[in-house]
Amino acid sequence: MAKEKIKVDFRFREKLNKIQGGKHHNYCYQCSACVAVCPAARFTEEFNPRVILLKTLLGMEEALTGEDSPIWLCTNCYSCYERCPQDVRPIEVIIALKNMAVQRQKAPASLAKLSENIAQTGVSVTVTSAVSRRRQELGLPPLKTIPIDELKEILEDPQSVTKDDK
Amino acid sequence: MMPLKYPQMELAIRKTLPNLGVELVDVDGFTCCPDPIYFKARDKIKWLTIAARNLAIAEEMGLDVITMCSGCISTLKEAKYTLDEDPEAKAEVNRRLKKINKEYRGTAQINHAVVLIRDTLGLDVVKKSIKRPLDGVTVAIHYGCHILKPSQIMHVDDADYPSILDDFVAAMGATPLDHREKLLCCGKGCMDEELPLEMTETIFASIEESGADCMGLVCPTCFSSFDLGQILISRKKGKTYNIPVIYLFQLLGLAQGLEPEQVGLHTHRIKADKVLEKIKESAKA
Ligand code: SF4
Ligand code: SF4
Repeated sequence: MAKEKIKVDFRFREKLNKIQGGKHHNYCYQCSACVAVCPAARFTEEFNPRVILLKTLLGMEEALTGEDSPIWLCTNCYSCYERCPQDVRPIEVIIALKNMAVQRQKAPASLAKLSENIAQTGVSVTVTSAVSRRRQELGLPPLKTIPIDELKEILEDPQSVTKDDK
Repeated sequence: MMPLKYPQMELAIRKTLPNLGVELVDVDGFTCCPDPIYFKARDKIKWLTIAARNLAIAEEMGLDVITMCSGCISTLKEAKYTLDEDPEAKAEVNRRLKKINKEYRGTAQINHAVVLIRDTLGLDVVKKSIKRPLDGVTVAIHYGCHILKPSQIMHVDDADYPSILDDFVAAMGATPLDHREKLLCCGKGCMDEELPLEMTETIFASIEESGADCMGLVCPTCFSSFDLGQILISRKKGKTYNIPVIYLFQLLGLAQGLEPEQVGLHTHRIKADKVLEKIKESAKA
């Protein structure tokens, strides 16, 4: 088999370094301790945090932040963060990769749906009349109003995910 | 999430904590923490900003924050850890907060109600509040990931061999039962259809094997995986488990002598009749 040259995309890694939590990807020494405790890896071969870190070290932008990226299978359980001997905090690297995918508009459509409520209303669940009725039936006080103006103000762009974009 | 989706949990907190001598103050101006999964995946700096705004409000009032939810404590504690550790992130967050005349300083402490009970009030206070001990009731605890991990941020318990919830349940007179998958993630944060169902099913099978009367937990997201989750599993996989899922403060309410409706148990999909029967029996004995 002919030897293939491995190319590393350092530009991608530099971009990742600038996203909060992204820098720790540099510390990964591929030991697989994270894989042993990862529930997503236990239930599907499509997901493996060590492989995600390897691809990150190689700078494989499309594989990680493109439409078919496996990063969305992570259950957000923090077991890898707990276990990693190198303080890579793999889940936080995955979150940083997700932020990059969002910027590239390659995140799953369901993410927008699941996160839009917070941005628009300050709460994660839509307040419907059914919600208010249920609270009343249980004898709970009415919900407090959320200062949406303040929320809009602090969430206003310039897009904050990468400092390059500012 | 709790006040909107699972108000029965808020109800249980409001009914039980005063019996332990805790005065609850409702604070104006809080938003959702926000959730530690989806909004964070969208934009971590904005996620930190919303969390920091909530913490800044508590700081201004000189209060510490007590959460009832594993997701809330996860977000708020991680936000505090990150902002205290990363000056650049803190500067960006405070640049945003300045627009509304707020500042994150890092002075407020954050804890889950179960930690407050263990460390500040003491489990004896729980024992003293019990009017109807849950003798003979066996509870399979589901810890849930976010209250424990990462332990360097959460500072709640040993992430591999936790005991905080077992001890809490034991103080109510019930018996915590171990099972193989006690620490497995509920899978809710995974953005896939199949995977979360496989994970919850693994947990149900493990609990069924243990023979526990019910499942006990402190996280509303896990709750939805397991309560509604059992309906989904019987629909999609044809297997029915019928394991009642009880928020631990509802269980505490029952032990303090409250009726099931007073802690909102009637709102759950999987009915807890068998457990309630047992509690009645042991009260008679
Ligand atoms: S992320 Fe940490 S635990 Fe996982 S392979 Fe790299 S060094 Fe090992
Ligand atoms: S947080 Fe994600 S990558 Fe880390 S162990 Fe859990 S599922 Fe695996």
